[in-house]
Amino acid sequence: MKKASILMLITAIILVFAAGTKAQGPADVGWVFPLTGPYGAYAEEMKRGVEMAVEEYNAKGGILGGPIKVLIRDSELKADVALRRMKEYVDSGVPIVGGNLSGGISMIINQWANKNKILYMSTCHNNIGQGEADRGRYGFTSGIRSYMTGNALAEYAFDKLGKKWMVIAADYRWGHDEVAAFVVKSQEAGGKFLEAIYTPIGTRDFSSYVPKILALKPDFVVLAVFGSDLVAAVKQFNELGLTKRTKLVLPKTAVPIMKECGAAYDESIYGAVTWYWKLYEKYPNAKPFYQKYVAKYGGVPDADADSGYVGAWTLFKAMETVGSKTDTEKIIDTLETMTWNLNHGTEKYRACDHVREQTVVILQGMGDKAKNWDLATVVAEVGPDKTLQSCENDLKDIPYGPVLKNLPGK
Amino acid sequence: MELTWEIIILQIIMGLALGAIYVILASGLSIIFGLLDVLNFAHGTFYMLGAYAVFVAISLCGNFWIAMVSAIVIVALLGGLFEITLLKRLYGTEPIYPLLLCFGFSIFMPDVIKLIFGLVGKVVEYPKIFQGAAFVGTLILPKYRIFLVVLMGVVLLALWLFMNKTDIGMIIRAATRDRLMVSCLGINVSRVWTVGFMLGVGLAALAGVIAAPMVQTIPNMGDEMTVESFVVVVIGGLGSLGGAVLGGLLLGQVVSFVSFLYPDWSNVAIFMAMAVILVVRPRGLFGEEGRA
Amino acid sequence: MHKSNGSNKSMINRQGDWRTRFEFRAMIVAFIFAPFLPFIISKPLATEIIVYGLFALGFNLLLGHTGIISFGHAAYLGVGAYSAAMIVFYGEVGVWLALLAATIGGLLVAIMIGILAIKRKGAYFAMISLAIGQMFFFLTLSPLTRWTGGEDGLKLPPLSIDFPLYVNLSNQLHLYFFILTIGCLATLAQWRILNSPFGHVLRAIRENEDRIRACGYNVSRVKFLSLIFSGLFSGLAGGLLVVYLGAASINLLFWMTSGVIVMKTVLGGTHTFFGPVIGAGVFLFLRSTISEYTDRWELWLGALFMVLILLFREGIWGSLLNLIEKRFYHSKL
Repeated sequence: MKKASILMLITAIILVFAAGTKAQGPADVGWVFPLTGPYGAYAEEMKRGVEMAVEEYNAKGGILGGPIKVLIRDSELKADVALRRMKEYVDSGVPIVGGNLSGGISMIINQWANKNKILYMSTCHNNIGQGEADRGRYGFTSGIRSYMTGNALAEYAFDKLGKKWMVIAADYRWGHDEVAAFVVKSQEAGGKFLEAIYTPIGTRDFSSYVPKILALKPDFVVLAVFGSDLVAAVKQFNELGLTKRTKLVLPKTAVPIMKECGAAYDESIYGAVTWYWKLYEKYPNAKPFYQKYVAKYGGVPDADADSGYVGAWTLFKAMETVGSKTDTEKIIDTLETMTWNLNHGTEKYRACDHVREQTVVILQGMGDKAKNWDLATVVAEVGPDKTLQSCENDLKDIPYGPVLKNLPGK
Repeated sequence: MELTWEIIILQIIMGLALGAIYVILASGLSIIFGLLDVLNFAHGTFYMLGAYAVFVAISLCGNFWIAMVSAIVIVALLGGLFEITLLKRLYGTEPIYPLLLCFGFSIFMPDVIKLIFGLVGKVVEYPKIFQGAAFVGTLILPKYRIFLVVLMGVVLLALWLFMNKTDIGMIIRAATRDRLMVSCLGINVSRVWTVGFMLGVGLAALAGVIAAPMVQTIPNMGDEMTVESFVVVVIGGLGSLGGAVLGGLLLGQVVSFVSFLYPDWSNVAIFMAMAVILVVRPRGLFGEEGRA
Repeated sequence: MHKSNGSNKSMINRQGDWRTRFEFRAMIVAFIFAPFLPFIISKPLATEIIVYGLFALGFNLLLGHTGIISFGHAAYLGVGAYSAAMIVFYGEVGVWLALLAATIGGLLVAIMIGILAIKRKGAYFAMISLAIGQMFFFLTLSPLTRWTGGEDGLKLPPLSIDFPLYVNLSNQLHLYFFILTIGCLATLAQWRILNSPFGHVLRAIRENEDRIRACGYNVSRVKFLSLIFSGLFSGLAGGLLVVYLGAASINLLFWMTSGVIVMKTVLGGTHTFFGPVIGAGVFLFLRSTISEYTDRWELWLGALFMVLILLFREGIWGSLLNLIEKRFYHSKL
């Protein structure tokens, strides 16, 4: 009987929860982030960014006479779950969807969105709009096109750090994009390519590559990996004294990464981000964003919070301008033409391929001088005019497409 | 890229250090399986708990060595609590149920850690005296890696002494062979099991402690370690401590050299190695026929 | 443990017959009820329940019916999925051929795992199958990335069927009914297998392997056959998943997929025929529901699973069957 009562209790609790689910009405935008899984910390940032945009608008009384309602669900960093969530949103009458934190998954969602004429606002580093197959009227990105951060960093590295370079890249599309960006810039800047190593995602031992790097003596090593892999690589390279002999350049870094590396993230490490919290000193409109974030969540907002915030904010702005929360076609037209001045100066979505034209920030690590959240210094900002290819080039996917097909060291 | 002798020596050291972690982790798994017949699916979880325990202990006392010992003790006690309150109820059922309970625990526990410590990982710095590398001519000798190899030797020696020279160790070995006989001799086998389980997860925690400075210390860091410790144990032969040692060292070298020569295959290599060994010697290197 | 451990032989048969009849009726009721499912819960969730239900049934052939603990079923599902996706992507063939390819993919993995590990027992088999599963994951992720798309997955063009009648698989409802039809047929096929003499041998092996060996059966061969059937059904589920997703994604091959299918099956009840489907349904529904309230849904699901293992090892459907049996069947005796 004891067993039976436990069973009944569990069932009752579950039924109450389930009933509550059904009671939630339709929302204006449905978001999906990988809140569980290895990128949970970054997904949390994006989620907070979205929440802050919603709060900001609702504090003004919402739009069109009512508060904005969004739903945020977990994709577990799985394509099938992400797609199911998206379909569920559309099923329950949500007209616009957004989110994701994986190039691969956001491309799958982008394809689905274009097929079904659903407006999709992606928030991560991806290739939406690059190449004919992935360009469509319905996909936007408030994140960045993958090769842009690589371009910006390569521009800086060949100028300031030296010409001899090698690369350790994660063996998937994003890693390949960064390699291609460096290869192309290297040709322009007269760089000397030494070696490319492709590591599978989930590589935790990078010390095995140290002998090779020491023997090659590069001016800088491009470390195009992310997450656990990146933290392990930085810690191990630092331990083995590599950071004293060469520079590490990271096409994508983040506040959690710097935090998790601790003192190993030192002055010889240069990383690219789309936004860094110290920029509020330069861009006045970023200051309220920064202050509100700190007051609400503690810590500091990261680039992912900015992507989520801008993605949501621009959608709401477009809805307000159009005068409808559901007229997808008109909202798209507005998004294509509008500009905004939020955390990073005046920006817009490029009309032809819907990529956010944004500036890339290059950060230098601080090692044991880092205190609390003061983890890096801003050493350069590289504008989209330097990093983004022309519309026509991107449609044909040149110059990167041919490089991707014939990557060095593959 | 040519293989010079300096590179080969360095790769061997890296492989040994990597192997040391595998050895310590897998010998814990092997002890638990040998004694309790339980496949500890939460082994990686205890590895993760070890890393978080050492983080907490360091921020409290500031000394790596004191923190290391206290982390092992804390996790071993947690493991004991888990065994006494939950796992013990499932002895005598089909073998899958203890396994599944551990699996459930391995899903449950990382989220508890996320609630307590947040999603962003923690930093465990290298102990001061083992930072950096020593240079002998053109040869680089990474201090921490060499420390790991030495530590492995010490741990194995201690384990051997414990198993062979102490009463409780001998009882554990006897209970591994024939638990009915041991209980007939009037020994409380149930308590022996608890001790064995604590020993096993204590070793997992030690592996987590020494790995923590080298990897990202996040709540899910142990997930893959569970699988990899299984591979070590399968290669070595289930329930054999010597097998776990040899298997761990072998895998360390495989990973080290394959990542150097064919980075693409670095993650696949250990599983390939296992498949090859299973074809050649189905019960693993030191496995006893009949047990598996 | 299992009810048929009783000593009276005729009693075993009558009990078994009762359970079989009851489960058959329950299955028919489920078939009748299933077409209404997408109108009660969301269409994608309903579709996933059918696919993962089929996968769980295939998995339970090993765990519940033969007593083999496999932790490598992600390999069957994933290789099935990638076979289907790759033959569509590179061969530009239709859905039927893709599903055939998926089934064959599952079969090949089963043969490989069988050759390496079929003679290993209990936990040892679990470890080996888990490791081989991870091998397929990493193979797909990195060395074979040129063909599999690696981490990015493989995206497919919109799919439809022309034969025997036109079905547009981009329409969620049509897709659901297509998958439901195949799911029902596969379930019936499995029912047939388990209620053949072969199925009885399987269950006998689970109860007492040594005795069956003594009876002159080649236990390894029977187990191998069971592994192959399990591979076929799981591979088919992988193919259906690709049709549903319009893409093959790497996480299908990750070992957590194996772990989750074990959870689903045990949740429903391993010693039953239909339990795994119920387990898959309840699990997917719970996960979807809990994660709407908290990001830390794994904590609740993990805790719930531990409670299940400690108190209700027969699972939801198994416990229910036992309860009904006790109430109604025994009172008639």
